[in-house]
Amino acid sequence: MNIKNKKLDLNEFMQIRENVLLDWPTGKEVNLEEAFVFQKSLPAHLSFSSLLADAKKNQYILIQPRAGVAALDKHIELLQYLQDVGTADCLPSTIDSYTRHKRFQEAQQGLEESIVEGRSLLNGFPAVNHGVSGCRRLIQSVKVPVQVRHGTPDARLLAEITLAGGFTSFEGGGISYNIPYSKNISLEQTIRDWMYVDRLIGLYEEQGISINREPFGPLTGTLVPPSISHAVAIVESLLAAEQGVKDITVGYGQCGNLIQDVAAIRTLESLTQSYLEEHGYTDMKITTVMHQWMGGFPQDEAKAYGVISWGAATAAFAGATKVIVKSPHEAMGIPTMAANAQGLMTTKQVVSMLKDQRMPLTQELKAEMSIIEQETRSIVDKLFELGEGDIAVGTIRGFEAGVIDIPFAPSKFNKGLILPARDNVGAIRFLEVGNLPFSDEIKAFHAQKLQERAAYENRSVDFQMVIDDVYAIGKGKLIGRGSKGEQQ
Amino acid sequence: MSHTIVLGVIGADVHAVGNKILHYAYTQAGFFVVNLGVMVSQEEFVQAAIESEAKAIVVSSLYGHGEIDCRGLREKCIEAGLENIKLYAGGNLVVGKTPFKEVEEKFIAMGFDRVYPPGTDPKTSVDDINKDLASL
Ligand code: B12
Repeated sequence: MNIKNKKLDLNEFMQIRENVLLDWPTGKEVNLEEAFVFQKSLPAHLSFSSLLADAKKNQYILIQPRAGVAALDKHIELLQYLQDVGTADCLPSTIDSYTRHKRFQEAQQGLEESIVEGRSLLNGFPAVNHGVSGCRRLIQSVKVPVQVRHGTPDARLLAEITLAGGFTSFEGGGISYNIPYSKNISLEQTIRDWMYVDRLIGLYEEQGISINREPFGPLTGTLVPPSISHAVAIVESLLAAEQGVKDITVGYGQCGNLIQDVAAIRTLESLTQSYLEEHGYTDMKITTVMHQWMGGFPQDEAKAYGVISWGAATAAFAGATKVIVKSPHEAMGIPTMAANAQGLMTTKQVVSMLKDQRMPLTQELKAEMSIIEQETRSIVDKLFELGEGDIAVGTIRGFEAGVIDIPFAPSKFNKGLILPARDNVGAIRFLEVGNLPFSDEIKAFHAQKLQERAAYENRSVDFQMVIDDVYAIGKGKLIGRGSKGEQQ
Repeated sequence: MSHTIVLGVIGADVHAVGNKILHYAYTQAGFFVVNLGVMVSQEEFVQAAIESEAKAIVVSSLYGHGEIDCRGLREKCIEAGLENIKLYAGGNLVVGKTPFKEVEEKFIAMGFDRVYPPGTDPKTSVDDINKDLASL
């Protein structure tokens, strides 16, 4: 294995860079020195880092949609609408799937067809095809910071273009944008490619331009236990910090049980902070983002608003810095501008109402936090051990060994041995722990929690339970109960 | 009856959860499932159908590019000598919440035998597949 968690040598970076910029003609438009000047010329209200710092200090919760369409004018119109009507505090540009897989030719075709047909045939904004100038037009058309949200295993060219284009936050990471988002790409490859992205952001930081980095918390979005996503977030934060990133927002996808979700957000921040400090990264700015439920949604719009509101309430009780908002069209398709704004307004209403209420530290909450901390630490510490102190190496070995394992992931570099299911109050537990390095005590805890539910429903703990839970929220429940215990 | 079917998620689509559940459901229903997983190209679908002598190809597309990705699959099957193979499509086939009638017409015109709206219960298609393949 030829990888090390070490800051990329600048000469080496510049050499790689020459090739990266050749991937698509718009790469030629990127000039780093000129990009620094452009970023410095942007007003403070377009800076993600400043906005996050302000929200954290003043304890309000930022709301952000997902949104992206093919044509530039339509995309600008969409973002302005979400800002003005939807009252979004910060904006995204969600990148289309062809761009995510560097299929720029297909993205170009989709873009051209979209313009002809007057509707988007792409599921996002093809930023690389629009180039630096297109991105700048976009950034200069809105009043709030804009983030690149995607799912790109190799995001080097995308980062070059969008950062030069004035975006001030970049989502993803070498694990979180590989394992849930690809099939055949090795972790060694993506971790290396993301070191490049982080190094690039480090170069901006060196110029005094703070770019926010957000590891993608929810992973597969489907019943992911908190310790799994926490471990990934911590590893990606450590990798980013080594390359010079200073501003990190760690993420988590809502599970649905309030205590577990609040415990997750609180421990996510404290654990990330403490691992970074332990490893010598002391000048970091850490914030959190909670994603409203990321699994299957109900098709009925009124029911979807229920899920959205619960996500908003949970983010508020937990005290997350930012919440990523779903729309009432979630189960059906990419939302219209109006539907997207409605999800935002629903969320704004709830987080504003709950602005002054945070969940107090009860015994129950403490107990849940302790479980998450123990599990997360046992995974991350094991990764360090496997890497003989090097977290990049340890992570690759760890995935091979299944000591870190993501449920339902498409990647063949993921073991796929673990299975999650909900306990009798809807918290997500491990039905199969696979090769996770948990203590016998923790394993017994999970087994007992699921046994409790099985006994209540008079069924066995098996794969059908997992399937029922995958469908549950879409069918109007949290727990995929058998016939007993249903609320009609 | 133990029909062989090819299953997969087409294009650059990585939605894996439904695919895993469909695999399970079709296996439970007694089909022999050749599951190609996510990110499957038209060529891979056709190749797998030839190799496994499958009678049906079940295509999922969740991410919205289904319309672009599925075009030409029927023609590729015919070119490869699979004139009679049944083609099924389901998932969130187009970008955006769209009246299903429009989607269905589009995909039938592309040469699909049956088309299913978002969130269709796998059982529905099991019955259809059994019916369709019995008559072959
Ligand atoms: C979980 C999820 C994710 C996870 C996926 C993790 C993984 N690797 O599997 C993550 C977060 C990574 C993700 C990413 C993206 N997603 Co997504 N995702 C979802 C979500 C919330 C649930 C999907 C799911 O797992 N459902 C549970 C399973 C059991 O159900 P299912 O997938 O629908 O499959 C069942 C049925 O549809 C049916 N079925 C499926 N195929 C077939 C075929 C036949 C013949 C039959 C009969 C039945 C059938 O049977 C399956 C089993 O029951 C849906 C929205 C929703 N449904 O609520 C969006 C959704 C599918 N995603 C969407 C999009 C666009 C994306 C992204 C492109 C990001 C973006 N631009 O927003 C990326 C995709 C990247 C890529 N290259 O593919 C859109 C698609 C929009 C559209 N078609 O207009 C949706 C609808 C959300 C939305 N409204 O915007 N996503």
